[in-house]
Amino acid sequence: MGHIQKNKPKSHLSLQNIQNAGTNEINIDVPDSIIKTLEARKNHICIKKGDNSNPSCNKASIPGTVTQRSCVYGGARVVLMPITDAIHLVHGPIGCASCTWDIRGSRSSSDDLYKNGFSTNLEEKDIVFGGEKKLLETIIELNKLYNPAAVFVYATCVVGLIGDDLKSVARKAERLTKCRVIPVQSEGFRAVNKSLGHQLACDAMLDYLIGTDEPETITKYDINIVGEFNVAGDLWGIKPLFEKIGVNVSCAITGDSKVEDIARAHRAKLNVVQCQKSSNHLAMEMEKKYGIPFLKVNFFGIEETSNSLRDVAQFFNNPEMIRKTEELIKSETERLRAEIIKYKERLAGKRVAVYVGGNKAWSLIKAFEEIEMEVIMTGTQNGLLEDYERIRETVKDGTLVVDDANSMELARLLKKYRPDLIVSGAKEKYLSLKLGIPFCDFNHDRITSFAGFQGFINFAKEVDRAVSSPVWNLTPKNYSGVKENAK
Amino acid sequence: MQNNTMSLKTENQCVTDKKFAVINPCKMCQPMGAVQALLGVKGAMPLIHGSQGCSTYMRFQLCRHFREPINVSSTSMSEGTVVYGGEGNLLKALNTIWKEYNPELIGVTSSCLTETIGDDMSLIIKKFKNSHPDEDLPPIVPISTPSYSGSHVDGYDKAVKSLVENLAHPEENNHKINVIPGMISPADIMAIKDILKELDMESIFITDTSESLNSPLTDDVSFLPGEGTKVDEIRESANSIATISLSKHADSAGAFLQKKCGVKSISGPLPVGVRNTDQFIDYITKRRSIEVPESIQRDRGKIIDAIVDAHPYNYSRKVALYGDPDVVTGLSRFVCELGMIPSVVCTGVQSSRFVEDMEKIAKENNVSPVVLAGCDLYDLHQQVKCQDIELLIGNSYGARIAEAENIPILRMGFPVYDRLGAQRISILGYKAGIQMVDTITNIMLENYYDESGHEIMEF
Repeated sequence: MGHIQKNKPKSHLSLQNIQNAGTNEINIDVPDSIIKTLEARKNHICIKKGDNSNPSCNKASIPGTVTQRSCVYGGARVVLMPITDAIHLVHGPIGCASCTWDIRGSRSSSDDLYKNGFSTNLEEKDIVFGGEKKLLETIIELNKLYNPAAVFVYATCVVGLIGDDLKSVARKAERLTKCRVIPVQSEGFRAVNKSLGHQLACDAMLDYLIGTDEPETITKYDINIVGEFNVAGDLWGIKPLFEKIGVNVSCAITGDSKVEDIARAHRAKLNVVQCQKSSNHLAMEMEKKYGIPFLKVNFFGIEETSNSLRDVAQFFNNPEMIRKTEELIKSETERLRAEIIKYKERLAGKRVAVYVGGNKAWSLIKAFEEIEMEVIMTGTQNGLLEDYERIRETVKDGTLVVDDANSMELARLLKKYRPDLIVSGAKEKYLSLKLGIPFCDFNHDRITSFAGFQGFINFAKEVDRAVSSPVWNLTPKNYSGVKENAK
Repeated sequence: MQNNTMSLKTENQCVTDKKFAVINPCKMCQPMGAVQALLGVKGAMPLIHGSQGCSTYMRFQLCRHFREPINVSSTSMSEGTVVYGGEGNLLKALNTIWKEYNPELIGVTSSCLTETIGDDMSLIIKKFKNSHPDEDLPPIVPISTPSYSGSHVDGYDKAVKSLVENLAHPEENNHKINVIPGMISPADIMAIKDILKELDMESIFITDTSESLNSPLTDDVSFLPGEGTKVDEIRESANSIATISLSKHADSAGAFLQKKCGVKSISGPLPVGVRNTDQFIDYITKRRSIEVPESIQRDRGKIIDAIVDAHPYNYSRKVALYGDPDVVTGLSRFVCELGMIPSVVCTGVQSSRFVEDMEKIAKENNVSPVVLAGCDLYDLHQQVKCQDIELLIGNSYGARIAEAENIPILRMGFPVYDRLGAQRISILGYKAGIQMVDTITNIMLENYYDESGHEIMEF
């Protein structure tokens, strides 16, 4: 940790400043010593110290930088895409569909309709004359070909500009096909990052789906797992744990789900929220509308998984369930502690940087502590103030916190701090590998499940595979410098 | 979608059952192609004038295909800036890139968003230049690539044309040949460079991703392509003896140079397999007035030797090919040389050239493929189902068709994200062709012959 403390900034952002952040530029005295970057970017990087350090956030990326952020359409798409028996139809030019088709490693236990790339392929004449007719014909045709449980229609940038009325087309298509047609107003440019897309996806489910059907059976212990997308099969590491303690997972929103499951989700007794970046909004709205309370949970790491199960058992306040939960935790913890020793031998004391799109910026911290690794940097592409508050509560003093880092900043940070591992997504992968820094994928296209008790072992194994491989003995040891092309 | 399903089959024809939807696209949008061309210019920063998603998702695709860090900047348009037009964002972006990255060139591509709101990029760039009269600015090249027309193939073509239009400068003649490679792999570009070296032909590649998208792990990371075509080389392209566009769909810059600077232009075919490579070598040796060197003749002999060794295993096997038009036609001719039958060929691009080329290949080889132009992988799948296809050749997106129909797939083209080595796959020239013969034949052996080498037959 000494490494970082040498670079302690002279002062930090105050909460007051953060709340003003959206309205005016604040001049904060953060020394250049963290890394060289643009003046306007300096207060987006800070070092956690005490209670009043958050980076500036939720502001437009600076034009011309290589931002890691995506668009509103992308945000909506990743939330809804795991619904397995629906058609996800992108209303726009071909690129929006062809670059985002089947990029999310959300697994399915039955249907695979969601894995297809559907597009209205808007062309020049559609831009001139409007794309509504083509959209209607496309929905009718797709309904005929696939008989889907629903069609989600995503608006892209150009659809917002030409003014296609998605809602009225969806209504008409629904009347003609008798299939649910759900508009998602996700024009890419609508916000500075994809967080709005997450919210719009939640709104689409709230407005058009949840509460439109009734479950056949209801138990006293029905829950929904909200914000669990079954990436690499994470859900399958969580669901059996609940089954063992007598809790019935009626639906995950949206991992490995069917349209019908989500339509019936309003009868659950409790919502547990896994991805608190994308899905808090949904849980809060369901509480307002249906009186379903919610708990924030985290299934990454032994302690977090144990506490999450405990919280749910406590919520139902059933002594038998509480007893079973403690038994499960005890036996699983013992099993894992024994298994984890060999990984700890190699990983203890190693330093980790986390740079992700969502709630992994804080939800992974405890899991790393359990394999005795130290998180020295964390950050997100789309964090809101509440996300950074959460990070601040979780990380130790001295941790570097970065908002919306562009690729040049990331490279400079990695070069300066030289962590033993970076946890990030595909766009950052080859940047870190080229610098000889081990990489672990924790994004949409992850292929190993990390959630729950068994997932924790997978996680340790994956981290070990990244960090301990002898390949790092072959890469250059002394890095002479990042090529900056600087003047 | 206007399916341009041109079937050369007269009977047993499967009719596509859809007219409007695109299901599993076999093309991408214009900026994607333009960005790939720009990544082959040394020190160039591609800038997409649009929403952040455009650059981010394209980087995602390019990263997982090439397995290299890819930098593409964005003007980060959002609601407020859309209302007032993109001028402010574009000016800011140019300033940021110029100051922060110190590039040797900035290539600005438009998107559906900024084309529709009517931003005049050339005018905005002029404004930027005028506001820095005494500064040494890098060349800034606007490329109009609305994503609602054409495809990534057109985007590539437009980017190369814009580079030449903006930079090419007629001076004294040189003895070089311009090569516009089209959207081929870094290894393919390297293969052509090697051939030209053997023919002692100096060349200017517009553009050259052979090193920038297949770079070694050293002790640093660069934010801009550290290798590639130099800006000065593009300037010099006006003085070359000829331009050869390997892809017929990337020949606009060649046509421009011919018209404006009198540089002779020829286009295609992509030098895949024996006959297409013969044509390429022939053209160059005639330019140079030399005989085909011994080393190249030996390579030619070796590929024919390989095909002879392989022929019993490949004869009359039915192949389906999909991807970019010139790659598909090139490979179709090649599989015919192996004795295989291209039964279905598919490209997402609307292209009459593709259809014409396939007609020629069909006639020349006495085969009758179902030709799908402007189609998608759904259409391909329907055709694969009813043609008893034994091998699929195309990008990773076809893997699910292969799985569903239980046929082998050879991953090739763009993108290949679920296997390693996309940047090292080469199909051009005799040498790479030899590897291809082996790869294809071994796939046939693995799938249609048993452990002891007997053909698996149903009795």
